[in-house]
Order: sequence, then structure tokens, then C-alpha cells
Amino acid sequence: MLFNSIEFLIFFPVVTLLFYLLPHKPRWILLLAASCFFYMWFIPKYILILLITIAIDYSAGIFIERWKDQITRKKTCLVASIVSTCLVLFIFKYLNFCSANLVALAHHFGWSHPNTVLNIALPIGLSFHTFQSLSYVIEVYRGNQKAERHFGYYSLYVMFYPQLVTGPIERPQNLLRQLHEKKELQYDNVSNGLRLILFGLFLKMVVADNLGTYVDKIYAAPYAYSSCDILLGMLFYSFQIYGDFFGYSTIALGCALSMGFTLIDNFKTPYLSGSVQEFWRRWHISLSSWFRDYLYIPLGGNRVSVPRWAVNTLIVFTVCGIWHGANWTFMIWGFAYGVLLIIERGLRNFHLFDKIENKTGQVILKICNIAKTFVIVTLLWSVFRAPSFGTLRDLFTALFHNGTLPHQLQIAPVAWIALSLFIATDIVIRNSRFDVWCSQQKAVVRWTVYGVLIFAIITLSSVEQYPFIYFQF
Amino acid sequence: MTREKRHIIKRILLKLLLLALLLVVLDVIYYFTLYPKDLSENCTLMEISQRAKEGVDIVYLGESSNHTYSEDDRDKRFICEMVDDFLLDHHVGNLAKDACHAGVYYDILANIPKENDVKTAIVTVNMRSFTSEWIYSSLETALRKEQLFMKKAPVLYKRMLLAFKAYPIWSEDERWAIVRKGIENQTFTLPHPVPYHNAQEWDHIVAANGTLYNGIQPSADSLSMACHYIKLFACQLNEQNPRVKDLDRIVTLCRRRGWQPVFNILAENVDQIDSLCGPDLIYLLEQNTQYIANRYEPQGVIVVNNLKEVRDCDFRDRDFPTEHYKQTGRLAIAKNVANAIHGR
Repeated sequence: MLFNSIEFLIFFPVVTLLFYLLPHKPRWILLLAASCFFYMWFIPKYILILLITIAIDYSAGIFIERWKDQITRKKTCLVASIVSTCLVLFIFKYLNFCSANLVALAHHFGWSHPNTVLNIALPIGLSFHTFQSLSYVIEVYRGNQKAERHFGYYSLYVMFYPQLVTGPIERPQNLLRQLHEKKELQYDNVSNGLRLILFGLFLKMVVADNLGTYVDKIYAAPYAYSSCDILLGMLFYSFQIYGDFFGYSTIALGCALSMGFTLIDNFKTPYLSGSVQEFWRRWHISLSSWFRDYLYIPLGGNRVSVPRWAVNTLIVFTVCGIWHGANWTFMIWGFAYGVLLIIERGLRNFHLFDKIENKTGQVILKICNIAKTFVIVTLLWSVFRAPSFGTLRDLFTALFHNGTLPHQLQIAPVAWIALSLFIATDIVIRNSRFDVWCSQQKAVVRWTVYGVLIFAIITLSSVEQYPFIYFQF
Repeated sequence: MTREKRHIIKRILLKLLLLALLLVVLDVIYYFTLYPKDLSENCTLMEISQRAKEGVDIVYLGESSNHTYSEDDRDKRFICEMVDDFLLDHHVGNLAKDACHAGVYYDILANIPKENDVKTAIVTVNMRSFTSEWIYSSLETALRKEQLFMKKAPVLYKRMLLAFKAYPIWSEDERWAIVRKGIENQTFTLPHPVPYHNAQEWDHIVAANGTLYNGIQPSADSLSMACHYIKLFACQLNEQNPRVKDLDRIVTLCRRRGWQPVFNILAENVDQIDSLCGPDLIYLLEQNTQYIANRYEPQGVIVVNNLKEVRDCDFRDRDFPTEHYKQTGRLAIAKNVANAIHGR
């Protein structure tokens, strides 16, 4: 079920109301049933895949805890769990990609290799719940989390509907614990939750979807557009993907908060980052922290030699790229971030701007850094968005060669209004959150903001259907 | 319930009341600002409804069969224009739009302004529109979007339905799965035993054997046409069919507004159907047209049965069953409709 659908407008209040009407004990049944219903709205049979992952990691957790003093058995169990969970992910997400590349490679060397193509759709949100499930097993292995004995609660931890499809990727210490807690009806939770949902819908339906119209046009035939159009398309995509994903995460946070559950903040004004490193601390925080805790630190983290650190960084970011999709463009996108982080660290050693002490100079430097990071991120988003290297080549060829072409992209005022509002809110509520910011305002301001948001969502949203971008991952 | 909980619920209810007030205000703002533009951009059907202006006493609701696609036609008049020419004492208004069906006609009729001179509503009944391929057509999404704006509801609510996509959105795979399921449900009973009980089984047998009902092995094009005809016409209408329900609503609406409904059953290429699919499919088509006559004539509807009125040579399209007629075909239909109204 999509958050921006009429069905969800009925589903959410019904589930939330029932949640508070029920006593604590059977609430998990309601939430699990609602989550299954929510997931099965897309393609019902794929719930079986989810159940396989749940069953594997639920059992693994119990066995790991049982064998906590038998290192070899415990480790074997962990590895078996990780391999089998990842195998499901591999089959559905990467098998066709690997097979196609093997065929191409074999063809290059003149060998024959059968092309194994599975004619299946990628289950929605597979990468997200796979990572959430893995984090549970790893945390149990590390002794940071007790194995969950209740299959229902464990299933709910993986399937909790607000964050089931595109995260945030939760840790068991946060979500599983909360699922056991008795949640009382609290006015602040409900009102803050609704504020977040409202803001999230605005980001998705007004900002992302309106910009998406132009982005799709540009990426469908980049050679037909002028350099200026291409630049606009790239800029719009930066805000489309941000609005889309931030919107989804915000709605997820709002839905959970309405029932008293607190999920991790996934974004903290990433486009105001002064460096690539800072960007990754503010963008898709639940994923970057997952990679930090379960891949980067186990590889040695910062406590290794510089060359080893560089290799680790490249590994982590390349894997991060592949996580997003089975395509070379994603891999290159991730690898490029790895390279940029290495360069950034190298430049930091020169202490180029350390001597700027006056305030104005520091402000100018900060603005320049934000602009530099934004340009880098925007350029790399084009690698991320392009369906193939061919499109990417066309895009950059048009960018540098179509300067004389007339401006073709007819942009409706609504797109500019949406973009301006988005940028303004991002700046105004930086270092805070929309619900918190709202609660600090006077009632008149608050209700004016609600009015503007509701009006924009209903009357300015795109009439075309744009699925959430991160659904494909 | 504790006192604290009661207090929270009170606060929430108060805020909901405020929200309702806010929505009323926003509805008014929207009506006077963006609604006219939204309406013209997203709902051409509303404009069609408004064509039933002063002086128009007969409205003609149809789809692409109304106009000409044939370049050879010297007479390019639409069917509704021909009817208009036959009925000199009347003024026929054209309320047709491509790909429409009874569900859309209902909305168009329901939105005809209160101040009107309409006495008669001619509603085109296309026999293809009762089966799955049309019901779940890829054109349906666009029509259903437009229909949202035709609802009798506050304007902000209608725009909200559009914003939250309260209309069917199918990928091509999903749509075909639904169509296939629908074709499977197109069941029928023939007066003699046959090895198939629904359109899908019939289609499979013909496609798999590569032979027609009479054992002839046709060309690939003819075989394809035979399969199309089976999928599009092999069914037996009943009151559960969504289009039949739509026709029921139209009859009720016309009765309420004092209009005489005329159901114009369009001609199908019975010559080709007979040669490719045999008498069984003709039997089903006749049964279905009879069903419409039997159901609606007692309710005061004039049913004009044009099913067999147009010959094969007067159908323009050869690669898919359509109701795109050449001038003689359109004229024959218009004449029958005009006569039915005139004779009333």
C-alpha cells in the first residue's frame, strides 16, 4: 500500500484507532496483521519471501544465544544466517544482473554460458528488511540484544508497517524493545505524528512528484534538451529524490509516532553539509550507520593504516552502491563516493583553510563548502538516476554540447513554488524536526502552516502516479 | 476510561473540528482560485456535459463510432449530425468522446446543467463494452481520473481523490492479469454441447488448433481476428455486469430528469464474425442484444437494435474489431435511430 493513496488514508486511522482501543497484550496481533495487509497490497505472494527471512533469522537468534559460550557453533550459526538471508536477496535482486554479466564476459572471451534469467519482480523493500533482519542476528551475536523468543514480536520487528518498505532500517535495541512496551494514548504523540505525516505527504506529493515530471522527460531523451535544461533536470532530481525519500521516512516516523513508537531520524538537512563525509552522516542515516557498524568497523574502521583505510572505504561505499540496485551505475556511484572521501581526507591534512579566523570569512567558507558538496552530490545523483551508461553519456554530452539549443523545458510555476517551499523549510527547520518546530510556534502560525500544507497537498500535487523511488531497492 | 484519557480525546476531537472548519475554508479558496483551471485541464467530460445548452433537445452520447476515420468517405458527418439532419424539428447535441462507455455516459448526463431543453438522450450501447478487454482497458485510467471531477461532491474532496489517486492504476502486466481473469469469467451456455464454457477456453481452443469452427485453417490475421471476436463478444449478459449496472443508473437518471432514453445498440461485423467464429458467437450476440431489449423496453427505453445493420464492406478497420464505420454504415445507424425517435 502506498502512503500517498486513498487506501492508506483509511488504513492508517483505522489501525491507529484499533491500536489504542485494544489492551496491550493483543496489540502485536493487530500490528502484525495490519503490516501483512499493508505489504500484501502490493504483491501478496511475496510475503512468503519475507516469512522465509523471518524464520531463518528468528531461529538463528535463538541458536546463537543458546550457544553463546561455544564460539565456533555460534559463529557458524551467524554465518549460516547471514549467507541464507543474503542468498534470498541475491536470487531476487542480483541473479539476473550477475547472469547477464557472466554471459557478456563469456561472449567476450568466445565461451558459451547459459543466460539464467528469472522472470520475477523484485519484492518491494527486500533490501531494507533483509538489512533489518541481519542487524538483529548480528546484535544477538555481539551480545547487545537478547534473542526474541516470541515469533510474533520478532515478525513484527521485521514487518512493522510504517518502515517495512523503505525503512528507516531499525535496530532491535530500539524497535523490538519498544514493541514490547505498553503504549498509552498521548496527545503529543498523536499530534506530532500527524504533523510528520502531513509534512511527509507534502514532500512526496507536492515537491518530489512535481519535479519528477521534468526529470523523467530529461532522462528519457537527454540529447533533445539544452545544457540549461539538463542542469535544471539534474538539480530537480537532487530535490526529487530528497523529497521522495525524506517524505517517505517522515510519513513512516509519523505513523509510528502516532502509536507511540519512535523511529530513527533518517535525514538531517543533508544538502546543508559542508563535506561529502558530513553528507553521509546526514543522508539516509539508518543505512549509513548500518554500514558503519556492520561493515566499516569490522573491517578496521579508522584504526588501521591509511592505505588499508582507503581500501575499506572503497569497499564499504561500493557495497553501499550495489545495495541500491543491481546495475553498474549504482556501483560506480558508490565507488565514486569512496574515492571522494579518500580525497577529502587527503586534503584535510593540508589544513588549507584553518587560518581563516574572522566570522565573515568562516561564513563564506561554509557557504562555499555547502555549495561544493551540493554540486558533487548532484553530479553523482545523475549517475544514480541514469538507467544505463548510454543515458549518462547522452546526458553529459548534451550538458556540454547543447549550449546553443533553445530552452525547451516548460516548467510550471507549481514546480518552482514547491521547490522554493522545500528549500525554505529545510533551512528553517535545520537541526530540528518539523513536528518539533511546529510545536514551538504559536497556534495561528501552526494552523496557517497546516492550511498551506493541506491546500498544497490536495491542489498542487501531481496528477500522475510516481511510485516512491526507494521502492525499487 | 481515565480522566486524562478523556481529556486527550476531547482535545483531539476539538482539533478535528478545527480541521473540518479549515477544510471548508480551503474548499472555498480552491473553488475560486485553482478549480476552474484544474477542471479544464483534467476533465474534458465536464465541458462535454455543458454542450447540452439552450435549444438542444436531443443529446447523443457515443464514442469513436460517432465520427469517421475513413479517408474515402465523401460524407464526413458524424452519426449525431446525420440524426440531426433526419430530425428536422429537433436539435441534436454531440456529447460523444472516444473510448467512453455507459459508466462515463452516466456522469456526462448527470452533469448536464439543470437549465436545459433536453427531452431525449441517445445512449450508444457498444457490445464490446460489456467484456473485460474494454472494462479494464488501458484507456480506463484516464477516463476514471476525469470521472472523479464529475462527482457531486465538494471541489476540494474531488481534487483530493485525484491527488491520492483514487482511480485504478495498473501496470501493463497487472492489467493483463485482470483482463485474463475477466475473460475466464465470461461464461455462457449454448443450445448444444461445446467443449468450452468461457471465452478463454474457446479462445485457447481456436488459437491452439489454428482452425476455425468449420475446420478451415485460416491465415494468421484471420485467426487473430477470430480470437479477438471470441474474447470481445463471448459472454452472456446479466445484471451483475458493470455496464448493465451503468445502463440501469442511466435509466433511473433519465426518469428522474424527465428525459426519454434511447439505447442505440451499435452494429458489429456479423458477416466476419459468422465466417470466422460461426453461428455460436452470433447466437450469443443476439442473446445479449435481446437481453438489453427485454430488460429496458418494459422500463420505457427505446432500444434500437443495429447489430446486423452494417455489412462487412462498411467497416473501416480490418485488423481489430472496432465500430468505425464508413459513411453508409453511419448513415444506416443514424436512420434507424432517427426513425425510432420519429415514430415515437
